[in-house]
Amino acid sequence: MKPPFGWVFRVFDQCLLRSASVLVPGEQRSEWQQEWKAELWHVRQACAPTAAVSLKAEEAITAFCLGAFQDALYLRRGSRRKGTRLALMHGSAWHCLFWLAAVLAVSYTIANISAGVIAERHPEHYRVRSNLILIQDAHDTGDWAATIPVERYRSWKRMHQEYFDDLAFYRIQHETLSAGGDSGGVRAVGHGSANLFALLGLSVGSKDAGNSAGNSEPRLIVSYDAWKRDFGSNPHLINSLIRVGERRVRVAGVAPYGAWRLPGEADAWMLEPDSAIAAGAAGYVLAHMTPSVRSEMWNERVYITVHEADGSDEDFWGISFEERTQGPWGIYLFTVMLSFLSLPALTSVAIADYSFSSHQPSWTRNVIRWAFLGGKIIFLLAITYFLSLDLAYFSSTRYSPGASGVQFIFSFFICVFGLRWAVLDQRQRCPVCLRRVTHPARVGLASRTFLAWNGTELMCTGGHTLLHVPGLPTSWFDAPRWVYLDSSWKFLFAE
Amino acid sequence: MASDAKLSHTAAMILQAIDAGFVYGFSVMEMTGLPSGTVYPAMRRLESDNLIRSQWEKQSIADAEQRPARKYYKLTATGRSTLEASRRRYPLLERMIPSEETESK
Repeated sequence: MKPPFGWVFRVFDQCLLRSASVLVPGEQRSEWQQEWKAELWHVRQACAPTAAVSLKAEEAITAFCLGAFQDALYLRRGSRRKGTRLALMHGSAWHCLFWLAAVLAVSYTIANISAGVIAERHPEHYRVRSNLILIQDAHDTGDWAATIPVERYRSWKRMHQEYFDDLAFYRIQHETLSAGGDSGGVRAVGHGSANLFALLGLSVGSKDAGNSAGNSEPRLIVSYDAWKRDFGSNPHLINSLIRVGERRVRVAGVAPYGAWRLPGEADAWMLEPDSAIAAGAAGYVLAHMTPSVRSEMWNERVYITVHEADGSDEDFWGISFEERTQGPWGIYLFTVMLSFLSLPALTSVAIADYSFSSHQPSWTRNVIRWAFLGGKIIFLLAITYFLSLDLAYFSSTRYSPGASGVQFIFSFFICVFGLRWAVLDQRQRCPVCLRRVTHPARVGLASRTFLAWNGTELMCTGGHTLLHVPGLPTSWFDAPRWVYLDSSWKFLFAE
Repeated sequence: MASDAKLSHTAAMILQAIDAGFVYGFSVMEMTGLPSGTVYPAMRRLESDNLIRSQWEKQSIADAEQRPARKYYKLTATGRSTLEASRRRYPLLERMIPSEETESK
């Protein structure tokens, strides 16, 4: 028979144990509770075996339960000691690689959600044929200016071309773009010759659309943005008829996001025969050069003189726009190469590895050491690629020459200073355990430079090495040196 | 921990109690007269120092006796040699908690 009101004490004791268990680290809590509950059962059996409630017995049982708090606190302190052991990882090779991997993961994640970076990373969408130039009036000093009237383009098309395989024309003008019954909005529409996208080499739109028998309407390529914004990402838009200004056109395709890299931004491109392009504002003429002209190019430009029918000569610039379509990879590789070339100017690339003693690390240690340096550099190169793109397209959702410039600058600086850090970091890592040496201490006196060395001594917390960095380089001590500690020092470095 | 490591008197008493056959936390408390707040943390410490090791009793045994299963403790080889060193350090230890071997002599 159980004593009356005995349940109150039992509940109280259970509450004490449960409260104490909150202090126990989560992974040990379940087993800890099981042990204390079992012990409590035995304590109760030993202290209060009779039916009557004994305050003295309950006091002893409660005192037993209060001891659970000390036990729980001990386990909690133990888990903190484990945390301290983790803190010893600080400065280790794994710690360094972990942080590099974390930065890489963050920059890669951002690159995968940034529209501008996603577009940049798909060069198959925007890469055009080689040997293409934009022709511009030589008297116009601005870059990428629309300077060629459509009449001049037509006359060039009629002439025999010795230096160009093909020509195309386009100009941007603002017109109303409307589908179905809605009134639509004013959009930038590129009016181009029918061969515009073919000359660029961009596979955009269905060639059949708009060309099939009975379809006399001009073809329209809709930009990705306009397709989403104005047509609600309609999957059945292709081959449908829409209105551009007063004209009915047939949609031939949707250009992939970021596909258009040439000067002038358009929401759609209306492609029509040369004769159908209305006279009006000047536009751009695109030409594909023969190899002989390519060799004449200097600084991505070629000077062109056109002999007109009336005997006069007109001068033009042919400007390559390859830099707009080469993608981020070219800039990245160039800046990486530049960084490697600049590195010796910023820091000594020698990895200090001299020793007072005859001891040398084993070849496996050396392999691990170089593999660690290689790992750091690989991480840095990947971080440079993604982080420079993230920063370049932080405020820009599509390609622009400015974004390319920002990518160039960040790519170079991240890479060159990253490599500098990697080399400096490597120089301060113990050759045995790859921990960073710490606890710098001044050694010697500058006034005794010629009698004994003076400088800074750093210590490997694992007790493997000391690094001596001379304060004043001398002929006999001009570079940092590693001093290997033998096993007799180990007792000082117990972990 | 080395076998000649110096244990506190309390830790030595707990080690001696376990060696004497008091293999549960509460029985160690009863034998040594130490409170639960001392005995259990000390046993955790001895276990982490590899002087004792713990093992859960088989559930079937506990079920047969209609009680919860208990965790019991045993000395390791290191614990045994440490206890030997502690006995030399604290000569009264064996008199306070006589082990089974001592009693049989």
